[in-house]
Amino acid sequence: MNHQPFESWLLDDKYLSAAEKRELTSHLRDCRTCTALAETGLALRSAKVTSPAAGFTLRFQQRLAAQKVAERRRKLWGMIVLIVSGLGLLGWFAAPFVYAFIAAPVEWLTAAVGYFLFMFTSLQAFSEIIRVLLRMVPNFIPPYAWMVLLSSLGGLGLIWIVSIWRFARKPQGVTA
Amino acid sequence: MNEEQTWVSQAQQGDDEAFTKLVETYQTPVFNLCYRMLGEPELAEDAAQETFLRAYQHLHRYDEKRPFATWLLSIAAHYCIDKLRRRKFSMFSMDAEDDEGNSFEIPDVNAPNPEGESIKGQTQARVHAMLDGLDATDRAAIIMRYWYDYSEKEIAESLRLTVSAVKSRLHRARKEMAGVWQEEEDDLLAEMERRQHESPAF
Repeated sequence: MNHQPFESWLLDDKYLSAAEKRELTSHLRDCRTCTALAETGLALRSAKVTSPAAGFTLRFQQRLAAQKVAERRRKLWGMIVLIVSGLGLLGWFAAPFVYAFIAAPVEWLTAAVGYFLFMFTSLQAFSEIIRVLLRMVPNFIPPYAWMVLLSSLGGLGLIWIVSIWRFARKPQGVTA
Repeated sequence: MNEEQTWVSQAQQGDDEAFTKLVETYQTPVFNLCYRMLGEPELAEDAAQETFLRAYQHLHRYDEKRPFATWLLSIAAHYCIDKLRRRKFSMFSMDAEDDEGNSFEIPDVNAPNPEGESIKGQTQARVHAMLDGLDATDRAAIIMRYWYDYSEKEIAESLRLTVSAVKSRLHRARKEMAGVWQEEEDDLLAEMERRQHESPAF
């Protein structure tokens, strides 16, 4: 038999019959390549499993605790930077208005009262329109259309709740 | 549900005690894989610790259909492969090539101590030296195969390769290792012959 099948047996770690073992042993006497393959196979199979130094778990717990602290610190700093930059931006945008208010407070107060009055009357008018529509529209819409509309609204609401739950959910296994 | 699955499930719900039990159970296989991959106990310790940290952080991604050990060793193998590639890159970028443009071999970090070392210890050192010469992924495949008795399918799943790729990587690695082994045998024989000629009898 030529060299190739023996090499394949060794590379595939094939389970050999007694006859095949005899053939292989005979081949190994003449073939240095296959001898090296067989010897490396034996060396790999006899290689020991190395254990870590004592206290590995304790060192892991310390490392995990340190990482949690670092993570918390990073989040805190992130929040501080976000708040400070947000307030800075707000101050930068609001500065001209604040300056104008300090310069002429009465004009500003009059404008603000006028704005709130406008908003109040607009809301009143809008609610009146809705009330009239609600009184009139049901007569034109058949009951099945109401059912479709309400089901759609219910479905959208459900999607909304599930989306919020999925975004708000904390990943499992992370307690930091 | 067995004990391990219970620990995994509890750890997924944020129970650190349960995760600690998993660390205690798997510290040796994970450390051994890292040690065989990286060749130095300090690096292996760091890699094993990092493996458990990554497992802790990504526990929610663990698929319960897979054995936990396979998932964990897969994290360790990928971390070590990445580490070896970076180390190789930094070595090449730091050192210049020789005149013929040949690249350099990774030095043997576990060279055998000639004095008073047992044959078994020498064999271990030779195994280490053989692993050192392999490509990072081939090395991971060899370790999974011979230290953990993983099937080609399991290795393929762990290293995100096809079964045929694993098979060809294992063959290639075994041939490379046999080549190194043969060279060392030749060197040993030559050394023995030299010593015989140098002995006072001649």
